[in-house]
Amino acid sequence: MMDAAAEMKRPLLSVKNLSVSYGAIQALKGASLDVYPGEIVAVIGANGAGKSTMMNAIMGDVKRGGGEISLDGNPLPARSFQVVSAGISLSPEGRKVFAPLTVMENLEIGAFPLKDKGEIDEQTQRVFNLFPRLEERRNQYAGTLSGGEQQMLAIGRALMARPRVLLLDEPSLGLAPIVITEIFKELAAINKTMGMTILLVEQNARKALLLSNRAYVLQTGVIISGGNSRDMLNDPEIIAAYLGGGAG
Amino acid sequence: MDTLFQQIINGLSIGSVYALIAVGYSLVYSILLFSNFAHGGFLVIGGYICYYCLVKANVNIWIASLGALVGAGIAAVLVERFAYRPIRERTSLTLYMLIASMGMSIVIENLFVVTVGGRYKALPEVIPMTPVSVFGLATTSAFDILSLVTAVVFLIALQLFLSKTKWGLAIRAASYNLRITGLMGVNVNRLIAIVFFVAGMLAAVGGIFLSARYTLFPQLGGITTKAFVAAVIGGLGSLPGAVVGSLILGLAEMLTTGFLSSQFRDLIVFFLLIATLIVRPSGLFGRSVGEKV
Repeated sequence: MMDAAAEMKRPLLSVKNLSVSYGAIQALKGASLDVYPGEIVAVIGANGAGKSTMMNAIMGDVKRGGGEISLDGNPLPARSFQVVSAGISLSPEGRKVFAPLTVMENLEIGAFPLKDKGEIDEQTQRVFNLFPRLEERRNQYAGTLSGGEQQMLAIGRALMARPRVLLLDEPSLGLAPIVITEIFKELAAINKTMGMTILLVEQNARKALLLSNRAYVLQTGVIISGGNSRDMLNDPEIIAAYLGGGAG
Repeated sequence: MDTLFQQIINGLSIGSVYALIAVGYSLVYSILLFSNFAHGGFLVIGGYICYYCLVKANVNIWIASLGALVGAGIAAVLVERFAYRPIRERTSLTLYMLIASMGMSIVIENLFVVTVGGRYKALPEVIPMTPVSVFGLATTSAFDILSLVTAVVFLIALQLFLSKTKWGLAIRAASYNLRITGLMGVNVNRLIAIVFFVAGMLAAVGGIFLSARYTLFPQLGGITTKAFVAAVIGGLGSLPGAVVGSLILGLAEMLTTGFLSSQFRDLIVFFLLIATLIVRPSGLFGRSVGEKV
């Protein structure tokens, strides 16, 4: 157990002082966070706080202005395809499945960095075990799936590359409450059974805090607080700012 | 009746050459969402490489064509690398690439004017022009049949590439959403280079047949206008649309030539364009009615 404890000390994904600007607008102003192996970490915050920008900056989809991002101690490459190969996959905001492609083809695109056919088949089976509904609809066009099924596909597609860290950008967006509950249950299962390390950003703070081990609060480009998710659920300030309206 | 069959065959033949050009142009449009006006330049590059391989290097048509295809493909990749990539890495506005492509089209055309001159060059008779009887219904030239068959072969090869290979799948995904395709671990710059190589190759096939049918000159790329029109009729960005639009255009041109007058040939092209834009702006197989230039 000593080894496990020592292992826990080094973050798998570490973001230090990350800043991103869109022209004159600074969307992230030196945000830092750590994600340890096997953890679920949530970043909560209002619309426009910079949550998606943080995800896109990690993925190399927007240009990182300053700061450092490292995966398992190694600096993360700058371009998206290299980031995916390094071991980080994203389920993007709004799901963004390839509507004119079939479920199977969407998963194949997710497996693009994998070379070995056997490995791809194995991973496909794993995703189908997680989401049996995707297997039923494997030859259906992704555009014909329901919102919840599209979210499952987006998560499954991200898992296809065998990531070490799974990033989720607003997995609850635009879904019915009952579907959100189902998706979050699956996320907990992915974390538990696959040992998948997960970083998610969510506007639905209550759901995110219930799912995660630890959480950070992002406000106008800065991390203003962080801690154990359970403690944060009972924090009067968090309740007032993010859980107050009964959202979620 | 004879004229009708003959003109239908001629129409399909010229339409299939337009299709080769229109498909490559549409493929680039579907990924980068801009009209690559330098596309005609790739066709001219292919034509000249073929011409000089035949005339100066004295190789056979197969080797000359291979050289033309690869050469035009590489030229297309270089144009993208040095004229478009710097723009798309700085801005998401595709208008700038459109303007750059107009510039590149002038550059390519004039490179040939200053190096090999603006004169018309006739390709040696390497593609048979002998008359052929089609099921006894009509007489056409072997050239028309050959160009039709070649175009069909290349279009089928393209279809197989897109539907059966890993990069083909990535290209289909990118034509829906390039950014997300990149986020899935696909090297977007390589994907775009592949698309330009394929587009350049297909344009070169068209260029060889066009320079054999007519003659070769630096402004031959202007014929791409018709492929553009065909792509718009079929629906920009849609590959089946580009093929169908091209065949419609080829048939309309040849039937007009056969039954009215060849003077109306270009008129009908633009009539079809305007009619499409008024009646169905997204084209026959188009996705959405957005900006279409």
